[in-house]
Amino acid sequence: MSIKISSSLPTDREVVLGILNDSVEALNKLYVSYFPMVLQFILNNNGDEDDAKDVYQETIIVLYNKIKSGSFELSSKLKTYIYSVSRRIWLKKLAQHSKKTSNIADFEDVLIVEEDMEQHEQKDMQFDKMKEALESLGEPCKTIIEDFYINNQSMQDICEKFGYTNADNAKTQKYKCLQRLKKLFFQL
Amino acid sequence: MRQDLELEAIIEDYLNGKLTPEEHAAFEQLRNNDPIVDHKVVAHKVFLESMAQYANIVKLKEQMDAAHAHIDVASLTEELKPHPSKLVRLWRSNRSAVAIAASFILLAMVSLYSIQNNNKQAGTFEAMSQDMAQIKRSQSGLIRDIKSIKTDNKGAKGENRPRFGGSGFAISGNGYIVTNYHVVRGADSIHVQNGKGSYKVQSVYTDPVNDIAILKINDKAFENLASLPYTIKKGASSLGESVFTLGFPKDDIVLGDGYVSSKNGINGDTLAYQVAIPVNPGNSGGPLLDNSGNIVGIINGKENKTDGATFAVKSKYIMEALNAIPQDSLSKRVSYGKKSLLRGLKRNKQVEKMQDYVFMIKVYNNN
Repeated sequence: MSIKISSSLPTDREVVLGILNDSVEALNKLYVSYFPMVLQFILNNNGDEDDAKDVYQETIIVLYNKIKSGSFELSSKLKTYIYSVSRRIWLKKLAQHSKKTSNIADFEDVLIVEEDMEQHEQKDMQFDKMKEALESLGEPCKTIIEDFYINNQSMQDICEKFGYTNADNAKTQKYKCLQRLKKLFFQL
Repeated sequence: MRQDLELEAIIEDYLNGKLTPEEHAAFEQLRNNDPIVDHKVVAHKVFLESMAQYANIVKLKEQMDAAHAHIDVASLTEELKPHPSKLVRLWRSNRSAVAIAASFILLAMVSLYSIQNNNKQAGTFEAMSQDMAQIKRSQSGLIRDIKSIKTDNKGAKGENRPRFGGSGFAISGNGYIVTNYHVVRGADSIHVQNGKGSYKVQSVYTDPVNDIAILKINDKAFENLASLPYTIKKGASSLGESVFTLGFPKDDIVLGDGYVSSKNGINGDTLAYQVAIPVNPGNSGGPLLDNSGNIVGIINGKENKTDGATFAVKSKYIMEALNAIPQDSLSKRVSYGKKSLLRGLKRNKQVEKMQDYVFMIKVYNNN
């Protein structure tokens, strides 16, 4: 591809090590490096830039999970892997919207990524379940849970933020929220 | 309710490893004894993992959104969206295929070129007439030591030395001799010599295309030859057929033995055979015979870069040349397609019978 991917393409090894070490910089580099490739693919296959963003982010999540799980081996180029996963995700979306999927214009070699995609779809289901459960939890529970479990805030911070008289009250509130959330999560 | 919440808190602390060792042991005990508690622990573990995964992805998405904000999507979209020109689109989508195809074409052209070059016989044709002047000079060195007077005499009238030499053979009893055109080309005078003597000859017919010349002995000392022992072969010779030649690469007659190795001559020249016979300068014009004593060709050259690739003009062109001579001037002419007298004889007898009919051609050129 003649596009400016080449500006400062990180090596595949750099990316993998960076993600394993939670390096924000590595992730940024990775993200910026391969977006144009996926954008080009989506634009040329019935999609727009928002589709490209969604597909690309999902692809990065697949890659991220695979690297984090330790099962990622650099048997092919990272670029090829990203392209293949994006392509697979987009084809599925096209099929879901019953748009035509014949005549896919390809720009890169394609790997078979079915196994990774199955794993990803399972995880994605869990993610959606959790998201839905949180949405239906309502305030202030949602924020308390998010602050505690996602933003890693201490109970003390949460206590102050929500104006509870003491941390024990906040804790009790948190566990009440948690119980409801669990109920919602396991019901869905 | 209160108890449930406490249990929840303990389970979470247990899973997060925040319990003291005593508490931990006590809880393990409880968990083992109470399946309901155990179930709650497992469920909470699954939940926590899902939550952690969820948290990871949410963070990842935030990071990606931040990164996405740095990309100039609009201009990239402009650049990458499907190009109106079909050609550009085709080029973009098939870039690698086109590149591969192009490299294959290049490869094919290169190999085709090299095959073509290989097909050409790299060697060039080298006529086998002998540069007598050179040979004589190297030989005269030897002679001078032994017979100094004779060489002195010869040295005095150096213009009598033949410049070129070759071989030839009789095609009629009354002194018609066939040799190669290139042997006698540009000659001022030509002499032939066999076991009986040396005679002056005249060139009566030349065919530069087929490299054939016919000479006529024009010398009172010449006595007519007996019937020719050999005949001219009518058909083409097959590959692998044994052949032999007699010629004068030196002052004595030399026998060369071999086989027809190719139906065509250099660079597919259909006028000639390729034969595997060692020849040297001086063999040009010598007869090429098969085992039955039929003349199948005239030795006329070899490839200078390949060993054992000698060329011989095919016999049918000898016949064509013969037919160009006034037929009544040929007495006891060589017969064509008949049984040769040499048939069935051993090679030494064959040579013995025909050596008087093979001549050394000596070409004098005063320039």
